[in-house]
Amino acid sequence: MDSSTKTAPAKCRACHRPMGSPLFCDHCHSLYPSEGLNHFELFGFPPAFDIDPAALRQKYLQLSRGVHPDHHAASPESTDSLRLSAQLNEAHRVLLDPVLRAEYLLELFGGPAASADKGTLEGVLATALQLREDVCDAQATGDRPALDRCAARVRQLHEELLAGIGELARQLPGDPQVRRRLRATLNSIKYYQKLLGEL
Amino acid sequence: MTEETIIGIDLGTTFSLVAHVDEAGAHVIRDERGDGRVPSVIGITPAAAGARPQVTIGWPAREHAIENARTTVYSVKRLIGKGWEDIRRDLPFLAYAVTPGPRDTLQVEIDGRRYTPEEVSATILRALRERAEQHLGRPVHKAVLTVPAYFDDAQRQATRTAGAAAGLEVVRIVNEPTAAALAYGIGLRARPGRAGPVAGVPQDRPEAGLPGRVALPTPTCPTTGGQFQAQTASGETVAVFDLGGGTFDVSILRLEDGVFQVLSTTGDTHLGGDDFDHALIQLVTDEVRDQFGVSISAPATKQALRSMAESVKIRLSEQHTAEIELDLGRERVYRRTITRGEFEQLIGPLVERTLGSCEQALRDARLTPADLAQVILVGGSTRIPLVRRRVGEFFGRPPYTALNPDEVVAIGAAIQAAILSGRQPDMLLLDVTPLSLGIETMGGAMGKLIVRNTTIPCRATEKFTTFVDGQTAIKFNVLQGERELAADCRSLAEFILDGVPPMPAGMPKIEVEFLIDANGILNVSAKELRSGKQAGIQIIPNHGLTRAEVQRITRESIEFAQADIDAHRRIDLRNQVEFDAHKTEQMLAKVGHLLEPAERERIERDIAALRKLAQETEDLDELHRALTAFGHGTLHLAELGIREALVQRDPAP
Ligand SMILES: [Zn+2]
Repeated sequence: MDSSTKTAPAKCRACHRPMGSPLFCDHCHSLYPSEGLNHFELFGFPPAFDIDPAALRQKYLQLSRGVHPDHHAASPESTDSLRLSAQLNEAHRVLLDPVLRAEYLLELFGGPAASADKGTLEGVLATALQLREDVCDAQATGDRPALDRCAARVRQLHEELLAGIGELARQLPGDPQVRRRLRATLNSIKYYQKLLGEL
Repeated sequence: MTEETIIGIDLGTTFSLVAHVDEAGAHVIRDERGDGRVPSVIGITPAAAGARPQVTIGWPAREHAIENARTTVYSVKRLIGKGWEDIRRDLPFLAYAVTPGPRDTLQVEIDGRRYTPEEVSATILRALRERAEQHLGRPVHKAVLTVPAYFDDAQRQATRTAGAAAGLEVVRIVNEPTAAALAYGIGLRARPGRAGPVAGVPQDRPEAGLPGRVALPTPTCPTTGGQFQAQTASGETVAVFDLGGGTFDVSILRLEDGVFQVLSTTGDTHLGGDDFDHALIQLVTDEVRDQFGVSISAPATKQALRSMAESVKIRLSEQHTAEIELDLGRERVYRRTITRGEFEQLIGPLVERTLGSCEQALRDARLTPADLAQVILVGGSTRIPLVRRRVGEFFGRPPYTALNPDEVVAIGAAIQAAILSGRQPDMLLLDVTPLSLGIETMGGAMGKLIVRNTTIPCRATEKFTTFVDGQTAIKFNVLQGERELAADCRSLAEFILDGVPPMPAGMPKIEVEFLIDANGILNVSAKELRSGKQAGIQIIPNHGLTRAEVQRITRESIEFAQADIDAHRRIDLRNQVEFDAHKTEQMLAKVGHLLEPAERERIERDIAALRKLAQETEDLDELHRALTAFGHGTLHLAELGIREALVQRDPAP
């Protein structure tokens, strides 16, 4: 991946001062439609799994201040502002969430998306089904301690897969083996996410 | 050249308010009695055949509601953007007639004439606009309106239509709890030891043992109007519990360094003080039936019962018992004493419902009550002791009650107006969409594209193709809601992509973009991916008014004929001309020497020409165009003026 081709113009086309961000000019507030920039480029981060949450938040707020429609309400650029802001929010949502971030990296490095490959890790399906049954039983009988045990187990399994995702995603682009395993882990964690949502 | 004033309006179920920001900060605009509230009530007195009905708005309408029961419209906010099924259970409690309108809308029927909720709301908005114009001494054309956070797309659009019909460009729709958080976050907070109550920001009920002092928003910039300092540098997470006359919201927000970020919001657009009244009314109706064998159906009695229920509810917030007396005619009088305990039993289930929403909001934000620095109460119904007690118990802390629950939303709307005017470049409001958005999939399921609590603006795309060779149109149904089945969600509109090039099935690729803007309103567009051309898209809304209906209610208002509106607009425009011309003259006197002589002379000629045109022309559109052109022609001067003012204030290094 060559990210150097899509970086910001060096100077603002409107006021000719140097640009601090690819999205807007700090001086005259001109906006720069950013189609083609990926989520990492938008934030000026290298395309890697590890992201400092504080840096992400700080950058997100800084960029939001520059592009948010509230600050371009009266200007003819309000449509640009709306789209840029939506793009920024989407990028932030993806980068903030480790599962979405790993999935996005996978796509960025040219592999098929996790959803294009139905594979899961061995045993996950059976475990998830069993847990669902246990949860249903516990809910039906109102067995609070059993329900708590199920919840703890789901949370633990979820944590384990999350750790696995991080480990694999740090090896990207990696070999096809790594990518296949990452896809399977991403598909598998969805079952536990769904269970967690229902608990 | 003038910066157009944007007012902030809280259009409430029971009361509405208007506020604005000036050099002294944000404040509610009050009547001569010092009251900022305008009852959201209008009385429509039929006139002789052919003439316009007489309309009373606010206090006079409210005070005569009993004798004019059939012709007094209240709580219209519970009808706006709603359909017949939505309000069924309200019907027995309404003294005026409501009938189903086209496309699952509702209409109010008075003396055989039908009014849309948008028209009724517009009448209230017009009264607020006039109040602001009188106070400011200049025309007002722009407003920020607040809506319950849990309002869906149809309700938001209907509210915007009401604004347009009142001659207001709605520059932003803000969620009420978010507006309240804005007012809280900029420092309208109780700070023991700081300067006392500020005109315009009265504290709520100091006798109730609340922290009694309200700090001033900090005006710092005399040239650009009050500018606020958000007092949240360290950062805190708060819950806003907003229980109004007809709607309930709870929002969780992160406040940090001028950023107001909504983490989650949920609520019920049909739960509020009106429902507490209904519970009391139901009790009395049942007892009257049992004791006297009569059922209460006469509009005047219904209205009397409603006023009685409202005042009993208010009394029971301060006392432990209240007397109820209802004259049923023919020497039959229903009397009883009701205790606070009895009332709390009646409304208990409703209050518990609000707590269920609080639990949901916390779960969605992935927080627990212990993570919150404050629980802020907003809305008149939070004065009820049971509400305060249960909210306190649920969150494990006494709620924050030092803001005036009636006024804080309007203040927040005015602050948002200041942000939109560019006066608060460091403040940032990040709100969310309250409901998931999706499309109906094959088999009638709801296929989510945007999940609830996603930060707005947000966008999603979906690709569509054809199923049959040569198919040239594709239809899809857009939904809002959390349920799994399309039939259980609200259908916003059916969209028809037309002009698809005839190709074998599955070949055309049309990408549809769903864009939710900062108002929480959906915008849809479509693109044929092979050609890259915008695709034709037809929208068949399932709710709301058609374009023609919107135009009609914008053109004619309930109380004014077209001639009146023209006259009003003429006065508006002439005032604006005089205001702009005068401001420009002042600016010329101050910084005119910085202009090239030719430009200065041109502006002087422009001023004279504009004044002349305003006196002579009857073509209001022409005058409007001339005013706009004049504005453009004096931009440079205005910029010089601002720069000069800034230099004087803050000597450049
Ligand atoms: Zn620039």
